[in-house]
Amino acid sequence: MPTNGEPIVRVQNLHKWFGLLHVLRGISLEIYPREVVVIIGRSGSGKSTFLRCLNLLEEPTSGRVEIDGVVVEAADGELLPESRARIRDLRLKTGMVFQEFNVFPHKTALENIIEAPMVVKGVPKEQAVEKGRELLRKVGLLDKQDVHPIRLSGGQKQRIAIARALAMEPNVMLFDEPTSALDPELIGEVLSVMKDLAMEGTTMIIVTHEMGFAHEVADRVIYMEGGMLVEEGPPDQIFTCPQDPRTRQFLARIIESGRLV
Amino acid sequence: MEATNASIPPESDPDLAVGLALVRKARRIRLIETVKVGIVWLVLLALLTAGLLQLRISPQYAFQHAGFVLRGVGTTIGVSVVSILIASGLALFGALGRLSRNPIAQGVSGLYISVIRGTPLLIQVYFIYLGLPQIGQQLKELGYPQLAEIFTLGAIEAGILALSLNYGAYMTEIFRAGLQAVGHGQYEAAAALGMTRWQMLRRIILPQAIRIIIPDVGNQFIAMQKDSALVSIMGVWEITFRANRLARKDAKFIEMLLVAAIIYWILTVVSSWLQSRLEKRMAHAYER
Repeated sequence: MPTNGEPIVRVQNLHKWFGLLHVLRGISLEIYPREVVVIIGRSGSGKSTFLRCLNLLEEPTSGRVEIDGVVVEAADGELLPESRARIRDLRLKTGMVFQEFNVFPHKTALENIIEAPMVVKGVPKEQAVEKGRELLRKVGLLDKQDVHPIRLSGGQKQRIAIARALAMEPNVMLFDEPTSALDPELIGEVLSVMKDLAMEGTTMIIVTHEMGFAHEVADRVIYMEGGMLVEEGPPDQIFTCPQDPRTRQFLARIIESGRLV
Repeated sequence: MEATNASIPPESDPDLAVGLALVRKARRIRLIETVKVGIVWLVLLALLTAGLLQLRISPQYAFQHAGFVLRGVGTTIGVSVVSILIASGLALFGALGRLSRNPIAQGVSGLYISVIRGTPLLIQVYFIYLGLPQIGQQLKELGYPQLAEIFTLGAIEAGILALSLNYGAYMTEIFRAGLQAVGHGQYEAAAALGMTRWQMLRRIILPQAIRIIIPDVGNQFIAMQKDSALVSIMGVWEITFRANRLARKDAKFIEMLLVAAIIYWILTVVSSWLQSRLEKRMAHAYER
């Protein structure tokens, strides 16, 4: 695990309640620059909620999130007043890729990518377009720049979504089950883009069910269950000799279903 | 589709030939159906005309004076277009208010919609045209002459205000549904990119919502063109007022009301056509 100096993400004692459901039960975690962290666990374990709390798409019930110096804190179901004003700052530190892509259907591939840099950061159009085309090349879709999402496959849409998030030059990329909505034959092209990003040293937090990918790309794998981080470690350790019986049971089931490569 | 057909000669691919034949056949059947419906329309209209000609009416009078009524078309369209624009603005704010968590925004929009939908348009028109000047008069007596002027509206302004307020309230629901029909994921994607609520609304949500609500707003516009006849009671020289004026003067009610009705009908047909063209244009990004 590369421990390059100070952590870039610091989460302290994060709790999240949905009504009477206690979904996150006190999560603390530090992530270092250039680190690739993969979170695994069964559905309902709180992995996605945790990820969404990092950019405040969900408001934590209590706890503290710090990303690259921007701190947002909640207590007793409310954000602290000074934290509320920092939500956007926090979001600018992160880029998010969603399970359902959420590309903008009324904009072409290139327009999807240049929209936020121009509108949010005030980047001049030529500059945004240049950067946008560079990102399109990176995700292998330069030939689709003027195409609307309806004419793209799921894998292509997800690659546009990744490029769109990268265009804001975030410090940390968050991936929320980026391949779960894809047809099996399209998963590879998205994972390959993510592998490239990992090689370049992008800091990434990835929630996924792709165990082979996790094994190959992660610096650290975290197993979550019942809203808690049960076990974490390098992929070799988690996948070959997990310590916690819950992790063992989860992985045994995955192996039965034939998804662990 | 057409481009692919043109580039590959049909005989090179038997499947394509069969497909083209099927498409052509389906098109022919649709055309025949349309023609049949058209014939029914013509027969009905012919019967109606024949029936009318049995009455003691004078088509010559109607033709001679149609021009006088037609000169009101501009006013009717003008009042309707301005009103639908203002109503759309009100409806947008009303919808945002209803969807907002702010108690003031929610309260203001909720009361506005409730009061307007709970009272007849005719009373609203009267109140704005006749009631507001009385309020203005009393304000003047209280020593606010500038305020008093604001409350004294001309007939056209009063008509536009009444129609805008009325339609704005009904269209709030249309806008609300449109904003909600844009997927939650779109809001989240925009938020995750760091957009403010206003940027999100203007750049991501509204462009998609407008496409969804265009058919309903078009419908409202078509309805408004006819409801704008209500402003004739304030003496605005639009279609209904002009028709009514001649009808009363020469006791030619059937003739002049028919003239007005036909003009409104033609306006509606043209508006529907424009609306479908607009819908097609806005669908561009969504066609495979």
